[in-house]
Amino acid sequence: MDILYLLVPVSVLLALLVLGVFAWALQGGQFEDIEAEGERILDESAAKPEGEPPLA
Amino acid sequence: MPTMQNSATGDGPIISAAELAPALPPAPAQAWAVAGLHCAACADGLADLLRGQPGVTRAEVGYAAALAVVHAPEAVQRTLPEAVRRAGYGLAPATPADAAALRQREARTLLWRLFVAAFCMMQVMMLAAPTYFASGAEVPADLRRLLHWGSWVLSWPVMLFSATPFLRGAWRSLRRRQLGMDVPVALGILITFAASTWALGDATGQAEVYFDSLTMFVAFLLAGRWLELKARHGAALELSALQGDEPTEALRERADGSVEPVPADEVAVGDVLRLALGERLVCDGQLLDGATQMDEALLTGESQPVAKRAGDGLLGGSVNLGAPVRLRVTRRRADSQSQRLAQRLQQALTERPSLRLESERWAPPFLAAVLLLALGAGIGWLWVDPSRALMVACAVLIVTCPCALALAAPAARVASARALARRGIVLQRLEALETLARVNEVVLDKTGTLTRPTVLPLGAGAAPALQAAAQALASWSQHPMARALARLPQPGGAPPWRWRDVTEHAGAGVRGVDPEGRAWRLGSPAWVREGGPADGTPSADAAAALAFGPEATGAVLRYGREEEPLPAVPRTVARLRAQGLGLHLLSGDQAQRVQAFGQALGLTHVAGDCDPEAKRAAVQALQAQGRCVLMVGDGVNDGPVLAQADAAVAVGGASALAGRAADAVLLRADLSALPELIDQARRTQRVMRQNLAWAAAYNALAVPMALMGWLPPWAAGLGMALSSAWVVLNGLRLAR
Repeated sequence: MDILYLLVPVSVLLALLVLGVFAWALQGGQFEDIEAEGERILDESAAKPEGEPPLA
Repeated sequence: MPTMQNSATGDGPIISAAELAPALPPAPAQAWAVAGLHCAACADGLADLLRGQPGVTRAEVGYAAALAVVHAPEAVQRTLPEAVRRAGYGLAPATPADAAALRQREARTLLWRLFVAAFCMMQVMMLAAPTYFASGAEVPADLRRLLHWGSWVLSWPVMLFSATPFLRGAWRSLRRRQLGMDVPVALGILITFAASTWALGDATGQAEVYFDSLTMFVAFLLAGRWLELKARHGAALELSALQGDEPTEALRERADGSVEPVPADEVAVGDVLRLALGERLVCDGQLLDGATQMDEALLTGESQPVAKRAGDGLLGGSVNLGAPVRLRVTRRRADSQSQRLAQRLQQALTERPSLRLESERWAPPFLAAVLLLALGAGIGWLWVDPSRALMVACAVLIVTCPCALALAAPAARVASARALARRGIVLQRLEALETLARVNEVVLDKTGTLTRPTVLPLGAGAAPALQAAAQALASWSQHPMARALARLPQPGGAPPWRWRDVTEHAGAGVRGVDPEGRAWRLGSPAWVREGGPADGTPSADAAAALAFGPEATGAVLRYGREEEPLPAVPRTVARLRAQGLGLHLLSGDQAQRVQAFGQALGLTHVAGDCDPEAKRAAVQALQAQGRCVLMVGDGVNDGPVLAQADAAVAVGGASALAGRAADAVLLRADLSALPELIDQARRTQRVMRQNLAWAAAYNALAVPMALMGWLPPWAAGLGMALSSAWVVLNGLRLAR
């Protein structure tokens, strides 16, 4: 059970990291328009990349 | 941003605007959409905050419409959004697009708070789980402490971000020296967190920590708030869509001079519109010819009509008082926000809680009792089992649900307003729902409410061109007789003349100039005959209600007046009777005709030859008998009667001038919406009573359980959240 001494702090940090990532995504406007990415492949005029490259 | 001059308060119908005009010089008023109101008390808090800002002379905030009207100089107005942001409110210009964006931001922020709370709740429960199942292998002390510390860390996002609405709400209400709903909740949260943090210091790890309960009840409470927010936003959307629809049509002039009705949204910049007397303008425009007076009271509060000459700008939403005119559109309806603003301004103003609802008055004493009870429980338990004292006190604080008192009443009313809006009934005063539920006598007007006038041509062989010309001239007026004439089928043949310089003389008729320059009159026979040969045919005129002829020459066309009952009336009357309402018919028309009409409908209390004063006296007599009276009219000359009655409903399709005195406006031109309105009002009362009964039962059950120590804090949170969710959902039933 000694492994728990490592796992518990790690999981807490991980949970905080998840929250941080979501906050960053929200701030960056990732959730503004959920449909846009799906429709982008159908968009004829998007020949060159516009704005920020999407997250891989 | 639109600004308006406003110098009068639009108070209840009995008090005229002029009497209440404040002595201060008027400052420009601006309407703002508001975010961050989750109860009517928050609206008061925001109003106080705004009034405290330097430079603000007046501020009113309406909860259900989420609208604030602030009187302040332009420079001060610009600083307001920032000034209220720190207190947790959001302000955005009250245009439909901005308001919708604000609502979306508000909803999204709440959803994120809920997500953070729920996510942390699950993580904390995971860390707390080993201590739940303490069977067999005991958790070593230092591992237990590690788990507690982990829970502590994960509770911080909840405390800092998710619980903010409750903490802020409690702070706001305490600053106003009032006990708001949030105070016990915030106290419970803070005490739980503080006590659990303190318990972290216990070296043995045996002391209980309650981070799992804490995060759980914050999550549940936020879920309840989310439901209530969705309900409120839905209502605001419905209401703004409805009020923006009136008027729905405009008369556009085609290139050849004929008119066509067009939907208001299709009116484009540059179109030429015709505006009849008494009609409300759909969008901003420029007066093309003639002169008129416009009532801009809805926009500016100035009840004095404003004179306009050719070339002057006209504001969308103002009412034409002088004469029928032609104007060119300068801004599209969607862009002239003034109309929507004006209507919602009115709603915000009339929502001032001049009569605080009974149940809302109970909330502060109830909350005070709760705090005392919690204190008592804490002290009591110190004697019995000190380690549990704090948590029992917290459980008592959390489990009590004042929501039915403070939250469900506005939620029920707003949901009802939404349901009514969808059926074409505009509720102008939400408080009127209570009165409408109590109504037991209905006084009906005849003309315009139960009947519709039609005209019959008298005499034979009138030239079709003349008839068409008369109908074309009639289309310039909103008078019921003129509209009845315009409704007649157009005789075939050449297109009607194009009338110029049309003026309407109230009480007499319409005068227009034909393309050849001759003046014609359409209206009461005496007026048309005026100045003409003395030996005109008075006998023929006596039978006619409407005459048409060249000026100073005498009538060439006469129309007799008939009345047709509106089709839905008998059915509506039967329904109203089935609802247990006493029906009265009071009309200014001849007694004989009114009697005949009333008997045909089976009404017993019928009176004719009633002038407005007689009607008012009759209403008063009924009220003296202890009856609650609802007056239904088309409002053209019913103003004082509508004010005297306990509740007033105006039937739509009538003059827009009537709108402000009535508690509700039926947009459908017939009476069939009235039984629905009464039904909805009664349902609202029932639901509010149900909510109160539920709140009483729940508290009677839950508080003793918490006092006895049978309720762990997480159960208290769950109970509170479920109870408030239930009350809101019950209120939402009304929206169907």
